[in-house]
Amino acid sequence: MTAPAMVNLTIEGRPVSVPAGTSILEAAKAAGVLIPHYCYHPGLPVAGVCRMCLVDVEKAPKLMPSCATTVAEGQVVRVHDDKSLEARKGVLEMLLINHPLDCPICDQSGECELQDYTFQEGRADSRYREPKRFNPVEDFGGDVLYVPNRCILCTRCVRFMDDVQQESALCVAERGDRAVIAKAPDADLTQAWAGNVVDLCPVGALLSKDFLNKARAWELDRAPSICTGCSQGCNVTLETRDNAVVRIKPRGNPDVNAFFICDEGRLNYRWMNRQDRCLAPTAAGTECHWDAAVAAAASALNGKRAHIVANASLGNEAFFLLGVLAKKTGGSVRFTVPQGPEALLPGVEDLALRADRAANAYGAELLGASRADDPYRGLGAGDTLVLVDVDPASVPAGALAAAGRVVYLGTVVAAGVKAAAVLPIANIAEHDGTVTNLRGHVQRYFQARPAPGHARPAWSAVADLLIALKGEANFLTAADAFAAMAKAHAAFAGMTFDQLGTRGAAAAGATAGAGR
Amino acid sequence: MTIKVKVLERPVGEVSYLRATVKGLALTFKHLVDPHKVTVQYPEERWDISPRWRGTHRMLTTEDGKAKCVACGLCPTVCPANCIKLVPGEDEDGNRYPLVFEIDEFRCIFCGYCQEVCPEEAIHVGRHYENAEYSRDRFVYDLERLTSQSHAVCEMWDPADPKGE
Repeated sequence: MTAPAMVNLTIEGRPVSVPAGTSILEAAKAAGVLIPHYCYHPGLPVAGVCRMCLVDVEKAPKLMPSCATTVAEGQVVRVHDDKSLEARKGVLEMLLINHPLDCPICDQSGECELQDYTFQEGRADSRYREPKRFNPVEDFGGDVLYVPNRCILCTRCVRFMDDVQQESALCVAERGDRAVIAKAPDADLTQAWAGNVVDLCPVGALLSKDFLNKARAWELDRAPSICTGCSQGCNVTLETRDNAVVRIKPRGNPDVNAFFICDEGRLNYRWMNRQDRCLAPTAAGTECHWDAAVAAAASALNGKRAHIVANASLGNEAFFLLGVLAKKTGGSVRFTVPQGPEALLPGVEDLALRADRAANAYGAELLGASRADDPYRGLGAGDTLVLVDVDPASVPAGALAAAGRVVYLGTVVAAGVKAAAVLPIANIAEHDGTVTNLRGHVQRYFQARPAPGHARPAWSAVADLLIALKGEANFLTAADAFAAMAKAHAAFAGMTFDQLGTRGAAAAGATAGAGR
Repeated sequence: MTIKVKVLERPVGEVSYLRATVKGLALTFKHLVDPHKVTVQYPEERWDISPRWRGTHRMLTTEDGKAKCVACGLCPTVCPANCIKLVPGEDEDGNRYPLVFEIDEFRCIFCGYCQEVCPEEAIHVGRHYENAEYSRDRFVYDLERLTSQSHAVCEMWDPADPKGE
């Protein structure tokens, strides 16, 4: 395929060169100029209903909607001249006629585009003196609450349901100033991906019931992360308040999840805030110093075959070092992948909630771990069972009885597991690392909050074990461990943490997905 | 070798302490007979404090006795001393309200920003200065205490008319 022809134009006095067919709005973004807009969203079809992105194009008789106007050679676009500013000021005043001034109790406040643009370019006061339109709050089902008074009818939600989810559940009802978003009779927003309308809504009209009244947007700390809900590996932002994860938002990545995440990933974060966390290392059931617990674990492993059962959502670094540990002791690394129903997002190529409900099964297999329905099969009587971030309730009593010794590396307290040594480890919100999705896309996740108690990342705990067993594993950071892995495994050859950034990169020999 | 010190000869009238003593005593006797009083017989008598006095906080309530606060989070955000702790919640009618609202009066610098920023005119700094307590933890005012206090509140200046003219 030949590269599309490039078009040269000037936006706000800045020369830009973009492929033919690009909209002025996207070209301006490339030039570093933000044209205010509501109805336009890069993941949705263009509607041109909000009239907010009007800009002045030289030689055009009137202002042009920049989202729906394609670039042309030699065009001169002015975004912040008096004519466009006056037009946008008028649009904002109209939008605010029926918009209530309830920012103090609105959940969108602080991340609301109406608030931002009004502050930037709107009028300081309203000339509208008549009573405002009022409609009661409506429950749209699923996780979505609709506050019609705040709605500016940009129809992003309607277009998402029609064109991306492709189950028409929403429409614009009534006409004129009575127009509201309505859901189709007997339809609830319970579709697997419907929660995205909350993120798409530029104002506080569509709200997440889960997040309602929980925190203000400006109180949240944000860290880029990867959803561990399934093998798709959607890019997300973990939002924490007082070191507790309170919300998960999608993070755009055209290679993986476009702009969306499914409701299951969005609402499944409470396990990160579990209170029954494993806080201190123990040796033979008594709390002790970290080094003493590592020594106890090493003596349990010394000369024994290590039968390692790991959580398939652990990072690549942990699986790499577990592989080294298995090789050293003549054992093996096994994992099982929980299954669930698959839910496609029809409007985006190769995006679905996958049946494999774990983040790193592909990476684990690349790194020599083997997938098994029963990971405890083949456990010999003299073997040492190493459990890494495995739900203690899922470990069969028979396996615990069969194993000679048990070493438990876990995030949660395991009362029923009699372990020779327990090393507390951090969960995905508490350390840096990488996971590999089902298409072999290696992506980084970042630490969102400190690990509780003495917990350390799984790779760090395993590295300590290797050192105690006279192995080479001197890593200070996850990046060091990753660099060693990139040297040892051809699939990750040449990759570094810096190069992966927040977008990730495809592992060598990865099965190319559709449209990739 | 001795150091030569220059000794100045001054008139006796200037060098003598007598003149200064008499002057001082004269002032003392003047105050003895002067009716102008500066001492206030506290606590029976009190000074009037300014309408803009910013003292310890008070939360105003609605007619049914609930705090006016809607837990919007603006006061903890604007507070330069970080002395306000607020946890928002939802009541049975689905309205936002503060589950926890605590002000650490030790930490507070009494700038009055919280009153100025409040969209509901709920939190106020008080025209009040008698804050003595028997223990330090009593200086963290919780919502119950903030709403039950009844002292006068600060009349914040009107930005359009800062001098009150």
